[in-house]
Amino acid sequence: MRSDFVLTIFIYTFLSGILTVTFDLIFGFTGQLSMFHPAVFGLSAYVTHLLVLHVRLPFWLATLPAAAAAAALAVVVGSICFKFRLKTFYFAVVTLAFAEMLRLIIVNWNSVTNGTLGLVVSGKPTIWWPGTGIVAIRGPVAWYYLTLAALGATVFICARVLASWMGRAFGAIRLNEDLARTLGINVFRYKLVSFAIGNALASFAGGLYGYYTGYIDPGYLGINQSMEVLAMVLLGGQGTLTGPIVGAFVLTALPHVIDLRAEARAILYGAILIFTILVMPRGVVGTLRAWRVRRAA
Amino acid sequence: MACAAGRVSGARGGSLLEVRGVTKRFLGLVAVSDVSFTVARGEIVGIIGPNGSGKTTLLSVIAGMVPPSDGAVIWKGEAIQRLRPDVIAARGLVKTFQNPQVFAELSVFDNVLVASHLALKHARGRHRALTLVGIEGRAARGLAARVREVLGLCELTRAADQPAGNLSYGEEKMLGLAMALMCEPELLLLDEPASGLGHEEVDRLTAVLRRLHDAGTTLCIVDHKVGFLRGLAARVIALNYGRKVAEGRPDEVLNDPAVVEAYLGRAHA
Repeated sequence: MRSDFVLTIFIYTFLSGILTVTFDLIFGFTGQLSMFHPAVFGLSAYVTHLLVLHVRLPFWLATLPAAAAAAALAVVVGSICFKFRLKTFYFAVVTLAFAEMLRLIIVNWNSVTNGTLGLVVSGKPTIWWPGTGIVAIRGPVAWYYLTLAALGATVFICARVLASWMGRAFGAIRLNEDLARTLGINVFRYKLVSFAIGNALASFAGGLYGYYTGYIDPGYLGINQSMEVLAMVLLGGQGTLTGPIVGAFVLTALPHVIDLRAEARAILYGAILIFTILVMPRGVVGTLRAWRVRRAA
Repeated sequence: MACAAGRVSGARGGSLLEVRGVTKRFLGLVAVSDVSFTVARGEIVGIIGPNGSGKTTLLSVIAGMVPPSDGAVIWKGEAIQRLRPDVIAARGLVKTFQNPQVFAELSVFDNVLVASHLALKHARGRHRALTLVGIEGRAARGLAARVREVLGLCELTRAADQPAGNLSYGEEKMLGLAMALMCEPELLLLDEPASGLGHEEVDRLTAVLRRLHDAGTTLCIVDHKVGFLRGLAARVIALNYGRKVAEGRPDEVLNDPAVVEAYLGRAHA
């Protein structure tokens, strides 16, 4: 029983980790404070489930149109924001407004989404396993490995992108947009690429989350989710790949370990956010790295 | 310098850039007024003028950073005055900044590596996507060597691993030049490259610019250090209050009464 509890914390950490790593691609590496991430996460949970339910697509196949829809939405929202050169606070507010629009559509489209009551997800994803054939993913151990593999794949893809010319362009945009332009970097295009890749990858977390918890509701798209993801990334360390996972682990495990109610959890997130910004702006991983560099010098 | 000369084609002398009646107004203020001139392939052209004469604005208009109010900028026969700076840079017209702009958090090496964006694009095109799956290709593998080559040319090899934010002002200017060179420019627009530099640093900069020119890069240099430009430019254009007041060989222009008046006042003209 105790090991199931630990596994559950890890499963939620890995699912949140997919969200935070992909959010950090947009925020920590490209410098765009997006509040659209949970919208894509929630929307893809709905899209994946509805495609399985109504179109009878297998789970894994259904995640692909969900990812395509997330990327397409990101291109539309990103194009509008980046065309008008919205940055920092303004970009955050406008992306939040788009996220809220999506949430309200889902709340009010009762015939498809069941409104505020949400949807019960009864099926489970299946995989082909050597010797056994097609098996359903049930139980914490199977979900642990599945979500770990999904997080691993997400980190691998992000790492490849960041090590390429695209990652260098993202960094240039974050550090000095005007200089990036004079060096031939199409700032609009690479902001959009980062936004689209981050959101498309985040959509997989949404699909998996719905099937793991067995329940989807419009709260997935809410501002609370945005704040949680932001708190995790700031705590772990923005602009790193490991920091967002560390932040996801701490803020997932902490409320479970000390058994906090939802209101107390919101206060805790707020307090951690304030503490991190004031005392440890580089987050846990960033601060540790700086400390190691100082020790080595 | 192979990387700077890489995209230069054809013999020297053909017109690369034509600035045709360019005017730039900021609300009621006319910063540049009806300025026209050409830059031929292989030339070093200097643009001089006292502070506030519109030199930097003119360079910003040419590089696409601000659109002109009137007039046209013609690059190899094509009007480019409405193109974005990154598109203009991709065509081979690259500008450096008056106040050095670097990515302070990154190392000097990484700054120049970031500037390899266009070089990789020119070399690999859409095949760049293969680098995402670990297939680097010769061009991508050679990038680091080219970065080191450019750092060597700009005498920054010893500072390669330092954060750019730790560099001296003169080194930052050299890094700005190195980043511009990594873009493989056909015409390099240098905005006051010698301002704020000591004598030794100016001499070093002059030597670097000469090497670049010898390798085939056309240069258009804005500066108010007349002695620095006299030693480099074959032709000088003088601006005052946004207007072109003289053009010709450096000695002719510097003795022109309109230029003397602009720098020293009417009593000395």
